[in-house]
Amino acid sequence: MPDEKSQSPEPFITVNNSINVDEIMSAIQNRIREKKGEGLLIQSEIDEVSDMELLPIPDFLEIPNVYEPILYPSSKVTKKEFKKFEITLENENGSGLRGLIKKILGIIRKIFFPLVRFMTRPLYNELKQFTTDRYNANAYELYLLEDYKRLVDESKEYIKLMHNTTNNLIVEISKLKIDQEMMKTKMKVLEDKIEFVENRERAIEKKMFTPSDSTLIGQQAIPIDK
Amino acid sequence: MKIHQFLTSFSFGDAIGNEALEIQHFLRNQGNESEIFSFIYPPRASNKVINYLEYDRYSDPDNILVFHFSIGSPVTDKFLTVPDRKVIIYHNITPHEFYIDYHRVLAKDCYNGRLELKRLVDNVDFALGDSEYNELELKEAGFTRTGVLPLVMDFDKFNCGIVPVLKELFMDGKTNILYVGRIIPNKKVEDIVKVFYLYQKYFNPGARLFIVGDYRGFERYHAALIDLVTRLNLKNIHFTGHIPGDELISYFKLSHLYLHMSEHEGFCAPIPESFYLNIPVVAFNAAAVKETMNNGGVLVNRKDFLQVAALMDRVITDPVLKDSILRTQHAALEKYRLNRTGKILMDYLSKL
Repeated sequence: MPDEKSQSPEPFITVNNSINVDEIMSAIQNRIREKKGEGLLIQSEIDEVSDMELLPIPDFLEIPNVYEPILYPSSKVTKKEFKKFEITLENENGSGLRGLIKKILGIIRKIFFPLVRFMTRPLYNELKQFTTDRYNANAYELYLLEDYKRLVDESKEYIKLMHNTTNNLIVEISKLKIDQEMMKTKMKVLEDKIEFVENRERAIEKKMFTPSDSTLIGQQAIPIDK
Repeated sequence: MKIHQFLTSFSFGDAIGNEALEIQHFLRNQGNESEIFSFIYPPRASNKVINYLEYDRYSDPDNILVFHFSIGSPVTDKFLTVPDRKVIIYHNITPHEFYIDYHRVLAKDCYNGRLELKRLVDNVDFALGDSEYNELELKEAGFTRTGVLPLVMDFDKFNCGIVPVLKELFMDGKTNILYVGRIIPNKKVEDIVKVFYLYQKYFNPGARLFIVGDYRGFERYHAALIDLVTRLNLKNIHFTGHIPGDELISYFKLSHLYLHMSEHEGFCAPIPESFYLNIPVVAFNAAAVKETMNNGGVLVNRKDFLQVAALMDRVITDPVLKDSILRTQHAALEKYRLNRTGKILMDYLSKL
């Protein structure tokens, strides 16, 4: 606003042509200069007052929801990709001399395969048994986890409910806070009104009861005291 | 002739409500039948106002229905559906931006009001503004048959004494500054408080400020003003709230200067009222204020609070200047004499 003031070519006031604007303006400026000269007028304070903003009690609808992004991640949150466990098998085939050796060894292994199978049978059975046991253990764990899944789903619902409750509580508390601020203002207004009503009361009393009335009241009161 | 009026809201002391009553009084004196219909009105007005939904019983193509339009409401729909000859008196709609921080519902109604005004364009026989400023807005909205009807004002109601108690309380030699109007954001009451702070601090420590007007519905704005007053540690400010007519007149009569810093006015009735009661007026030049002042009083073109405070001091302490200003105000008042406004209204209605 002050910038506009200095830039605007419009006179500060507009009055009827019969009134001398310049005279008024010069009187105003003199008065301000006079006050400044007396050291009474502090420009910084005037600027501060001019720039003072009203601070309205906040509207509860403007309270930001701080919980939701944490509890319910938006699509922006990226999930890690599922990675399979992989083992690297030696390549049986090959080229050149190495390939040729591998082929020869392969043929030899085929010749001895029944013997190899006979020799590794116990290990094979043990491995088979271990894999079956491991599978069963995992399947049983999954079976047990079914119960936990229900528990987790329930918990998720409870968290949602808790979040809603917390959010509602914040809104309600904010409303209460606003109500409290409003009540404070209303109290202040009421205090002012009571003071005003008291002043009114005194003014009415002053109008109604003249000094002679009070003397009369005093005289009448004597016999009652006796 | 039957000439009825439609209002969105009727309340005692409100400029539109007062005007509706004055028009009704004038029309009845001219031998016309005239009733007031409103959407919202206080119970104690039920002997003067009828619910607008009951208008079907009164409706007739020969009737003239005058709609005081100032905000969006269901009354517009009703007004558009009746077969009567239609006139609107446009009192302007406060730009909704002023209300966003304080009253979302009213902000919405004001926004809708401007949309509804466009719907009325080809559906009314005559559109009157209560100022040239308002008439210009009507023309911009697309109305072709427009005119100006200065707010109907009966100043005779001011010819009464001061309420004795208020006289006892406030006629004590202190300078009383007055603002009259609703405590709503577009009136910029905070600027009045700031100017008064500087005036009281640097020019007249014994000064007192009356802020006379209703703040119901705008408690948050009122609370912010109270907070500002507290931060400034300001004394002798009286927020009276809604008061009876006799007390309002008393506050006028007890005041030495009327200060108005509003940034949006479609008319501003307290200015001619102050003119009538010989109170010098210092008002900020916004919207229709300049036109309402009609070359009377002092119009401030920039919000330099210190200069406004110094100006107030000058107007109050210089009797020659004060007299000159009062003379200009007295001349300006001629525009608002009841008979003239009533005649203008009848001229417009006779063209229908």
